[in-house]
Amino acid sequence: MSLKKFSELFSDLDSINSTNNKIEVLKNYFLSNDPIDNSWAIYLLTGKSNKRFISGRYLKNLFSQIYEYPQWLIDTCYLKVGDSAEVITLLLKDKTNSRKKKLSNISLNELLSETIPALSKLNEEEKNLEIKNLWETLPEDNHLIFNKILTGTFRVGVSIGLITKSISKLINIEEEIISHRLMGDFKPSIDSYEFLINKSINLQELNSKPFPFLLANTIEDKIFKNSINDFQFEWKYDGIRMQLIKRSGNVSLWTRGQELVNESFPELVEKMSHIKDDFVLDGELLVWNFKEQIALDFSILQKRINRKSPTRSIQIKYPIIFIAYDLLEINGRDIREIKLENRRIELEKYFSKWQIKTENNISDIFKICDLIFPKDWPDALTYKEKSRENNTEGLIIKKKTSIYSSGRKKGIWWKYKVDPMQLDAVLIYAKGGSGRRAGLYTDYSFALWKDKELIKFASAYSGLTNIEIKELDKWIRKNTVEKFGPVRSLKPEMVFEISFEKIQISKRHKSGIAVRFPRITKWRKDKKINDADSLENAYALMKKIS
Amino acid sequence: MRTKQEYLIRYKDGNLYCELADIWIDPSKPVKKALITHAHFDHFTFGCEEYISTKETALLLKKRVGDNIKIKTFEYGEEFKINGINISFHPSGHILGSSQIRFIFAEEKWLISGDFKLQKDETCKQYEIIKTDYLISECTFGLPIFKWDESKKIAKDISKWITNSPEKTSLLFCYSLGKAQRLLNEISQTNFKGNIYSHDSIHKINNSYRELGIDIQDTIKIENKKKIDELRGSLILLPPSLSKGSYLKNFKNIQTAFASGWMSIRALRKRSGYDKGFAISDHADWDGILEVVKKSEAKNVFFHHGDSEALSKYLVEKESINVLLFGK
Repeated sequence: MSLKKFSELFSDLDSINSTNNKIEVLKNYFLSNDPIDNSWAIYLLTGKSNKRFISGRYLKNLFSQIYEYPQWLIDTCYLKVGDSAEVITLLLKDKTNSRKKKLSNISLNELLSETIPALSKLNEEEKNLEIKNLWETLPEDNHLIFNKILTGTFRVGVSIGLITKSISKLINIEEEIISHRLMGDFKPSIDSYEFLINKSINLQELNSKPFPFLLANTIEDKIFKNSINDFQFEWKYDGIRMQLIKRSGNVSLWTRGQELVNESFPELVEKMSHIKDDFVLDGELLVWNFKEQIALDFSILQKRINRKSPTRSIQIKYPIIFIAYDLLEINGRDIREIKLENRRIELEKYFSKWQIKTENNISDIFKICDLIFPKDWPDALTYKEKSRENNTEGLIIKKKTSIYSSGRKKGIWWKYKVDPMQLDAVLIYAKGGSGRRAGLYTDYSFALWKDKELIKFASAYSGLTNIEIKELDKWIRKNTVEKFGPVRSLKPEMVFEISFEKIQISKRHKSGIAVRFPRITKWRKDKKINDADSLENAYALMKKIS
Repeated sequence: MRTKQEYLIRYKDGNLYCELADIWIDPSKPVKKALITHAHFDHFTFGCEEYISTKETALLLKKRVGDNIKIKTFEYGEEFKINGINISFHPSGHILGSSQIRFIFAEEKWLISGDFKLQKDETCKQYEIIKTDYLISECTFGLPIFKWDESKKIAKDISKWITNSPEKTSLLFCYSLGKAQRLLNEISQTNFKGNIYSHDSIHKINNSYRELGIDIQDTIKIENKKKIDELRGSLILLPPSLSKGSYLKNFKNIQTAFASGWMSIRALRKRSGYDKGFAISDHADWDGILEVVKKSEAKNVFFHHGDSEALSKYLVEKESINVLLFGK
């Protein structure tokens, strides 16, 4: 099957808004293509591949070099388009339609399993020649896909849920099972596709895979009408949600993003392998302050995440802990279908057994989450307000009768997050957006007062409606003081309410502070710039918390 | 070199103006004398004392402004004199009646391109290459990312888009003057043989085109309260203004598309809110603008209606053409 089919699928998915139609289109694609191409399609569509073979900058330079095209002109085009792969695709249209070379009829499989991986074995000159050759022999419709795969920017508006649904419909097997089959590592091959569409259900085959995660929804008012005794309360930690799996003696750590991270946390893998039982635990990985028994900031955890095979001194400097919330499987028995309160009993039972029986002490790296027992809902609110003191984000509320299904299932688990911190700040810079927001000024920087000067303290991209974005874009163009490349400095006039989750000291920033997850929550048209907050207000906020 | 005050045509209050003839080109506010390149709403205004245009533009203009305006018409290529300046209209290929305007004074030639395209369009006269000393060109799509496919290919895509969803009514949004008629002409030559409806505003212009001798396929006029989602498998042409507001909320079994040059960019397509975009334009693409600039043999070029920065720099650097800026 040719790559053209996949390009058509991409363009169809891109231009269909209805979920049902997308499922229909996917189903038809799977029906009419080879298993191997299907498995690559799934690999791409589920975002399992975002390996970057070359950077967008490299792609643009290469085009400029081959076709003697001014770099600045490509950059100007980029501002309008917001995606290097697409800019080059549009510019190529101009360059390759007079070509005389025979068009190639390469398949998705050939492209992804042979042609593109082969590029990394070539030296730069050969690589450039090969890319040029591919540009000139691939049919024009395939350029976008090709460039996007090269630059690791292939994305389309299809969720894993949608892929799951279409395969489920294709073979008439429940979504839960397909979703489980899709978990974890997915290596494109005929086998992996046939496994996915296998009509017989055999749990044995799923041995290496984590279960689909069950996620909490944002709190709803109706929950407060229920008795407090119907729920289990836990702290909401800000770490890496993870399944810790031990099956047939092998330990694997799977993040919610479905990455296997054994190599980053070898001390956890080692300790857990001493436990005699097999199990699947759902929990959170954190860097832990053992003296005070609280979690350290996510920013510290980040120092561990991307570091493979950390040295002993790193392990000591940033000690980790796995806090288990839930027990999903024990010695090969899937217990997701039993009630949460009963799973909790099992979890506590096994935890104390392991603590006593395991040769090496496991409690310096593993524990089960403490439960909270509020007397009533106002009491729960008090706990929530206290959550910043122990560096958590609020509460997780779980129905005691809930079974462990998958996804963001409604009406069983909720997150009750502490209210964000807020400051009113002045818009001082704007930068052009990329992707869907190309051609509009959508990346904003905000400042707070320090004496009579405005000091930048945060950048935010999200929170405005499309109508507000357009309105602000117009204002930005009219009130630019200076342009520095894609950035404009602006007349200080607009005030916005900025919300964020955390505030801490930072030496890297001129303002001396850094905030986590800043976002715009209100355009304060009612406020003048003199009404905006000062850095002192920000420092006061920091003191209040610590 | 002359100062900008001495140019025969210059920018004044945001409009092109020839002081010597005291005449404005496509003015946005009422003036004494207005040359009109074509009948799109952003190229004329109500209340001018006198309009001058081609006879096709005049008829379309009257349908929009009313019959009682004072309007003088000329054929393409027919020269007329105002204060010693020879002025003439020439086809610009944008829509029916659209024109470039040439000024000749004391052996100096000026050409205002008006909105133009080079692509073939059976509903209007093909763009005519005119040689000039000074060229004032539009540059709506003045970046090399804009490169149009042939309209035959777009029409085929549209036909496929409709026939692939027989259970839906296909709503194609497009400008009601020019684009709609061009699309009708192209779609009638494809494999799509279903019913075509058009909104009243488009329907009226179709009739004007016929009056002016252009053969436009018959369409069924769509009534305002019509339950259009019952017209499965049909195509309906609607003006873009109807895509906003509540009109569409009443209908379920529909798919929507917008026909515009901007739809060649994915980000704009996604942001537009339509299901699909067809990149077809009545303006010149990058190559088209370059071709006109070169073939006009103009020594001096001005740009307006668009972002001209990159285009100007490119012409100066690559083609050594003198690009001038209007003092606005």
